[in-house]
Amino acid sequence: MLDITNVKSDFPILNQKMNGQRLVYLDNAATTQKPKKVIETITEYYEKYNANTHRGIYQLSEKATALYEDSREKARAFIGAEKTQEIIFTRGTTESINLVAYSWGRKNIEAGDEILLTEMEHHSNIVPWQLLAKEKGAVLKYIPVDKNGKLNLDNIDQYFTKKTKLVALIHVSNVLGIVNPVKEIITKAHANGVLVLLDGAQSTPHMPINVKELDCDFFAFSGHKMLGPTGVGVLYVKEGILEEIPPFLSGGNMIREVTLVETIFEDLPMRFEAGTMPIAQVIGFGAAIDYLKLIGMENIWQHEQELVNYALAKIRAISGVTVYGPEEVVERSGVVSFSIEGIHPHDIASILDEAGVAIRAGHHCAQPLLRALGTEATVRASFYIYNDQKDVDQLVEAINQSIRTLR
Amino acid sequence: MSISDIYREEIIDHAKNPRNYGKLTDYDFEHKESNPVCGDTISFQMKLDEQKKVKAIAFEGNGCTVSQASTSLLFESVIGKTIEEINKLSSGDVLQLLGVESLTPARMKCALLSLSALKKATKQ
Repeated sequence: MLDITNVKSDFPILNQKMNGQRLVYLDNAATTQKPKKVIETITEYYEKYNANTHRGIYQLSEKATALYEDSREKARAFIGAEKTQEIIFTRGTTESINLVAYSWGRKNIEAGDEILLTEMEHHSNIVPWQLLAKEKGAVLKYIPVDKNGKLNLDNIDQYFTKKTKLVALIHVSNVLGIVNPVKEIITKAHANGVLVLLDGAQSTPHMPINVKELDCDFFAFSGHKMLGPTGVGVLYVKEGILEEIPPFLSGGNMIREVTLVETIFEDLPMRFEAGTMPIAQVIGFGAAIDYLKLIGMENIWQHEQELVNYALAKIRAISGVTVYGPEEVVERSGVVSFSIEGIHPHDIASILDEAGVAIRAGHHCAQPLLRALGTEATVRASFYIYNDQKDVDQLVEAINQSIRTLR
Repeated sequence: MSISDIYREEIIDHAKNPRNYGKLTDYDFEHKESNPVCGDTISFQMKLDEQKKVKAIAFEGNGCTVSQASTSLLFESVIGKTIEEINKLSSGDVLQLLGVESLTPARMKCALLSLSALKKATKQ
């Protein structure tokens, strides 16, 4: 076991000054930093095992293939999937959702069919469906969000019709950190014979995930938001759904036999992994999973709960601050979105940057949600395992500094 | 140089009390420009006189100090200029108006929103 209060030194990037100040990295909802172990695993791969996977009849390739497939097994166990072939590697959550939209969607969505989304979605879970709907003449419906950032589920039945084919929704909001009641929605969807895609980009890094318990049909997440390298994501697809679906990307690696007129495709999951995959990154992602398991996902969730409640109390106490999301204590990951009256978030971000504090300002790729909250842009601080109360204190001091400068 | 250099009293004053704020009903050019990264927006109208020089300009907008102050400063400076002169304006001219040597790439987009709007309007 790794003690979560003692992990900061495992992250080389955090051991530097920014503008002469201690670097406080609070943009973890965008991407996380990488522990030495992940960086070393990638380096080791390039120094010792680099070869293309799955086709080579020599030891380097066999080793690379074995490590690549180990990562798939680690990803399977990490999210509680039953079978390894339910795990498809992609470039990230965005590609995972696009894969479902292009392959499953094109085969199954027809004119007049309805796809149910929410106003809380990241653009990556809106735009692919808009393109599909346009192509097929399908209809997008949205579960509305109230001013406090909660989905309106008072009368959940109203959202389902005989035409509803898919529900695609965000598990944990990247703007508010709110954990959506996905179990309730999935149960209702299945009762109506509707499949459910969960965008797990902001849940998987922060809490224990079990796709079997959730009973979702598709689950998408990104490696780089959970200590892994960029360029790797996962799409979990419940067995039986993709068997008859045409491929997404096509070419090498995903075939059994190619003639000049037709192709027999590989079995799952290889059928959906065309071309040379980001092998080093997939293997590095496996090392990230190992590292998270050493800490324990329950401990990570607990750590973030303590931190986010500490931060919420401190930030709410600053005069002129609006914190978005419910005021009462709800299930909420380590994300705080706020604004300060009379000061644009970008100006706050610049002053915070000077104080060594990296946060994000803007619409966080969720413009419909921000409109529902009645704003155009917020400041977002998002926490991860290496953050501590000292980081929050430096953030709060920098916010006060920005108020002194700009108001 | 640090970012605080831009948050001088003069700049904050231009952001909080932008010059030429409002709308023209009689105008020769009109354009709306937004910065998708942060949601800064400005929309403006511009009227030329008989010598084809800018007689009046007015804008409305929302956004950060940098985007709104640079619009106020830039638009104030174009009154009396010809379209040819406006098309010759560079990012360096905007930085000079803001009184800074440089900005981070992300903040440059805020600073140059008004210049980009101006050039797009006159090219239409």
